[in-house]
Amino acid sequence: MLAIDPSWQPEAQQANFRLLLDAMSYPGKYLNLNYVPKDYPIALTILSTLLDAQVSLADPHKLLKDEDWLMLQTKSEHQDNANYILCDASQIPDFTPKLGTLKSPEQSATLILVVDTLGVGELQLKLTGAGIKDHKTLNVTGMNKKWLTMRNEWNCSFPLGVDFILIDKTQIAALPRTTKVEIN
Amino acid sequence: MIQRTNWISALKTLPFNELLATTTELSSNWTLRPKSLPQSGLGMLKIKESAFNEKFYLGEFCLSSAWLEVTTPEGLVAEGAAQVMDDRVELAEALALCDAILSAQLPGWEQVSTMVEKGLSLREATRTDRKKMLADTQVDFSLLDDADKGQEHVSN
Repeated sequence: MLAIDPSWQPEAQQANFRLLLDAMSYPGKYLNLNYVPKDYPIALTILSTLLDAQVSLADPHKLLKDEDWLMLQTKSEHQDNANYILCDASQIPDFTPKLGTLKSPEQSATLILVVDTLGVGELQLKLTGAGIKDHKTLNVTGMNKKWLTMRNEWNCSFPLGVDFILIDKTQIAALPRTTKVEIN
Repeated sequence: MIQRTNWISALKTLPFNELLATTTELSSNWTLRPKSLPQSGLGMLKIKESAFNEKFYLGEFCLSSAWLEVTTPEGLVAEGAAQVMDDRVELAEALALCDAILSAQLPGWEQVSTMVEKGLSLREATRTDRKKMLADTQVDFSLLDDADKGQEHVSN
C-alpha cells in the first residue's frame, strides 16, 4: 500500500554496506551507488545504511530537511560530539569532531562530505597508505582544501582521528585515517 | 464522535482483510508518503518488581508502527499514525491511513467511522464476555471462612 523508496529497503542497505566496506578497504576507489534515492538527498542512502537510534548525527550545514530526520530515526547531536557528521565539502570546516581516545579510537567521528563530482576536477589528491599499491590519485570537484588541512591535524596522532566518506551524485570514495593525502 | 485515542484499538478488533480492503479502495487514487519508516519488530516491556523495586524486562512483544501523509487529488493533505502490538507492518499502515482519514474527514470518512463504531461494539462484547467468564469462575472464600469459624466453635 505504502510505496517506500527502494533505497530504504534492506536489499539496498546491505548492498550499500558492502560498498562502504569496499570503499574503506580501497581508499580513493570510486564506487557507484547501486541505489540512488529519487525524492531524497543522495547522502541519505549512505546515512540510512550507517545510522540507527543508537548513534548520533550532526548536520552543521543543514543539508537535511526535517522529514529526512524523521525517516532516519537517529539522534541529533552537536558536531563536536556526533558519531557521524554530514558536511557540505565546499564550505570551510569550523569545528573539531570527536577523535576517539587511545583506549577506544573507534569512538571517533565519520565525516560524510558531499562534493560536486568525484573522478574529475581541479583538486587532485595523491593517496598512499594501507589498501593502496604505490599511490593512487583522487580527483574531486567542490571540496575546500581546508578540509584536507584540518584532516591532517585531526589524524596526526594515529590511531586517533576521523574517517572521510566523499559522496557526489552517483559515487562514493573513502579516505580512512590510515591514508596519507597530499595535494598535487 | 468517538475520541481519537480509541480509533486504533477499535479498528484493530476488525478482521485485517476487511480493514485492508476498505483502505485500499479509499486510497486508490491518493498519494501516500511515509513520514517515518514503517517498521515491525519487537518491543521490550520493562516493569518494576514489588519486592526490591528493581526494573526488569518482563518480555518481548510484537510491535509495528507507521506514520504517513495522505494527499488526495482535490489537494487535501492529512497525516495519520499508528503503533500496534502486531507483527504486520501492513496493519499499522492501514490503521495509520484510517487515522488520517478520520482526523481530516477525508472522502470516505463516514465508512471508516462506521468501522470504528463496529470495532467498539465488538470490543465491548468481548469485554462483557470476559467479565461474565470471570464472574462465573469467581470463588466465594467467605464460605470457607464460615466453615473455619464453625469448626472452631465445635472444638471449643
